[in-house]
Amino acid sequence: MDEIKLKIKKKLEFPLEADNITPDNFAGKTVAEIKKIPLYYATKKVKIGDFFDVSGKSTEVANTKIIIDGDLSNVKRIGEKMTGGEIEINSAVGMHVGNYMSGGKIVVHGNADDWAGAMLQGGELEINGDAGHYVGSAYRGFWQGMKNGIIKVKGKVGVESMLWAKSSKPANKWPTLYCGSADSFLGIHNHGGTIVVEGNVDRCAGADQAWGNIVIKGKISRILPSYKKVGEVKEVQLPNGEVIKGKFIEYSGDHTIKKETNGRLYVAA
Amino acid sequence: MSMTNLILLTGRTISQGVALEGGKASRENVRAAGICTFDADDFKKLDCIVGTPVKVITDYGEVIVYSTITEEGPHPGIIFIPMGPWANQLVNPGSQGCGTPTYKGIQAKVEVVKNGKVLGAIELIGQLKEA
Amino acid sequence: MVEKVKTIEDVCCPFCGTLCDDLEVDVDLKTNQVVEVRNGCQIGTKKYFAANPSDHRYTKPLIRKDGEHVEVSWDEAIDKAADILVKAQRPLLYGFSSTECEAQSRGVELAEMLNALLDNTASVCHGPSLLAIQDVGASLATLGEIKNRADTIIFWGSNPVHAHPRHLSRYSDFIRGYFRTDGRNDRNIIVVDPRYTHTAQIADKYIKVNPNEDYELIQAIRAVLRGSDLDVKEVSGVSIEDIKELVETLKSCNFGVVFFGMGLTQSLGHHRNVDTAIRLVAELNDYTKFLLIPMRGHYNVAGANQVFLWNTGYAYSIDFSRGYPRYNPGEFSSVDLLMRDEVDASLIVASDPGSNFPAASVKNLFKHPLIAIEPHKTPTSAFADVVLPAAIAGIECEGTAYRMDRVPLRLRKVREAPGETLSDNEILERLIEKVKEKLGE
Repeated sequence: MDEIKLKIKKKLEFPLEADNITPDNFAGKTVAEIKKIPLYYATKKVKIGDFFDVSGKSTEVANTKIIIDGDLSNVKRIGEKMTGGEIEINSAVGMHVGNYMSGGKIVVHGNADDWAGAMLQGGELEINGDAGHYVGSAYRGFWQGMKNGIIKVKGKVGVESMLWAKSSKPANKWPTLYCGSADSFLGIHNHGGTIVVEGNVDRCAGADQAWGNIVIKGKISRILPSYKKVGEVKEVQLPNGEVIKGKFIEYSGDHTIKKETNGRLYVAA
Repeated sequence: MSMTNLILLTGRTISQGVALEGGKASRENVRAAGICTFDADDFKKLDCIVGTPVKVITDYGEVIVYSTITEEGPHPGIIFIPMGPWANQLVNPGSQGCGTPTYKGIQAKVEVVKNGKVLGAIELIGQLKEA
Repeated sequence: MVEKVKTIEDVCCPFCGTLCDDLEVDVDLKTNQVVEVRNGCQIGTKKYFAANPSDHRYTKPLIRKDGEHVEVSWDEAIDKAADILVKAQRPLLYGFSSTECEAQSRGVELAEMLNALLDNTASVCHGPSLLAIQDVGASLATLGEIKNRADTIIFWGSNPVHAHPRHLSRYSDFIRGYFRTDGRNDRNIIVVDPRYTHTAQIADKYIKVNPNEDYELIQAIRAVLRGSDLDVKEVSGVSIEDIKELVETLKSCNFGVVFFGMGLTQSLGHHRNVDTAIRLVAELNDYTKFLLIPMRGHYNVAGANQVFLWNTGYAYSIDFSRGYPRYNPGEFSSVDLLMRDEVDASLIVASDPGSNFPAASVKNLFKHPLIAIEPHKTPTSAFADVVLPAAIAGIECEGTAYRMDRVPLRLRKVREAPGETLSDNEILERLIEKVKEKLGE
């Protein structure tokens, strides 16, 4: 991979919107050209060079790896709409990281703020810390959110993660979230998303799920009354081909949506 | 005396509405909104008379208000403080990403503070302004 | 015979979202004071009397100098306010719910000029209802339809006896309607609330729900409605038998309505509580006619939402920082912005965040310059750097307001504005002119 290194050189009093920091925008550009790319700080249009030291270059999007250092906890929209290449973020990161991404990989060595991986269309987002609310979810007013791709969060995800996720069997698209633990309303309005939680989950998981698979290896604080026990299984076969071994109680739901449903929630026995 | 494991609800009362229109700096406002309403049986456990100041404590703050017995019970385990400056010392400012704070359903505990001073609205909010 | 007292009829009350339009106000022509209000509830009546001169009514512009409010001229106050706004990097314009629609429109204009954040009180109130409607729609109606047709009325997380005092007598309970000629006796009132509120005490059925568990209860009701047998015996403190009985009642009524309030929007789940309530109402229309109406708090917060909507495409929590309006509650909502200390100056119009925002956010609000357009001394205006004294819309100036069911009604002027007060609309117009000047336009 050709590396382009960014280091933030200013302390931020307001959020910095960095939707132009993507392999797509950096590939094939000189350092001087990259420094001129616009960003937004409070109400002002600024340049990358105003806020970051830049070095390195790359030729193709697929070969581009952007490594960013410094405190990025208030930098929003990094990786927006990227189609390939990689971004490695060596700090906590602000809202909307990797939103609308359709290819490539983002790794965050820290926590991510709300809306991480929102509207994900493909690619991989890895967060080695906790993530905020609305991980992999749809934006306001959209009734289809994450359609493909994989999000891995080592720690906890906030409320309403995977909101309005939509899979497609004919297109072989299986939007998937792996996380350590989850806050309430995990997978709400799920239309085929796959979620695997290593630990515990708060209330209302699978709320209004039309269909999909939520696997909880820990405990759930309170299962929705509109879910019904189907039986016990020794393993869970996920539609993306993965198999999760272990004893689980299988529940069908959400029965608010349909009397008979393919939606499933598995809780460790 | 004290009580733990309570749930705090906040909201509109007609007296609080009348008082806020009448002047937010007024004593009327303190009597209408600087109060904590208890379930009748819960109140007995506090072992004090109606009107005794109590300190209400949540993870988000604490405030001293006058105690009173509910006309909208029974609701054991629930305390009610009318919306306003006193309640807002205690509520959860977090919106869980939706924009609206969690003004209702907060875990709380209560201690009787017989000589506690219940501040007026302007004085109470004035404490939030640094010199 | 010289007239001493003037009576103004068909006055629209500027307090709550019920927007009663049948008040009568008597004004003493000599002293310009309100002397009697008929038909209003206690709160509305008080608002008219509180317009009369008092030690907590502002009549002159004020600027904070050496920790004290000092009277200044309008020119000086407007200049200082415009200066604060123009110099700010992330200004917030908030409130707008207790004023009329023209002023709200000026607010949008000013926010756009400043590339500011723009928000109204829905942010801490029925914002979640709007979020839910954006996700799952809503089956709404006007209050007249309820008055004339509804035989089953549910108040969920709403206590109108206290918050909308004449709602029950004008629209939802005691009143005789075209198809409900026996008034109260033709209606079945159901209240769902963790407390046995005064509204519950005059209802036909009271359902006690555990705090923060409304979502589970509505899911159970919907699943039973779909024909599912649930695995559990009790949900959120309500027995399965009671849930089944409720479902039968709702299915078999002629015309039902759910009025809902802060019990759903301000407890955990927020907009998802409203989301599932809306879905329940929609699903009941497989069996009968069912609608829902949010119990809006301020008399014109619905108007603020309408005005912001038709100007920007969004109803609240708007950001103009990139030169065009963007919307995202949680990111651009006032309390969240303040909790992150992201705002460096604020203009508070027709609202009182000092009283109504959580304390930690008010602390950050007060750290930065604050301009208040406000008629009275409140925990917000008392600490403002600039106070621009307003005439009260609906009492001292005319305008349009939108009721909770989005019906626009005309507010009347019943008395002259006191002292040097100006209408919110005029104050904002002057601010816009001054800001334009300073921005060099």
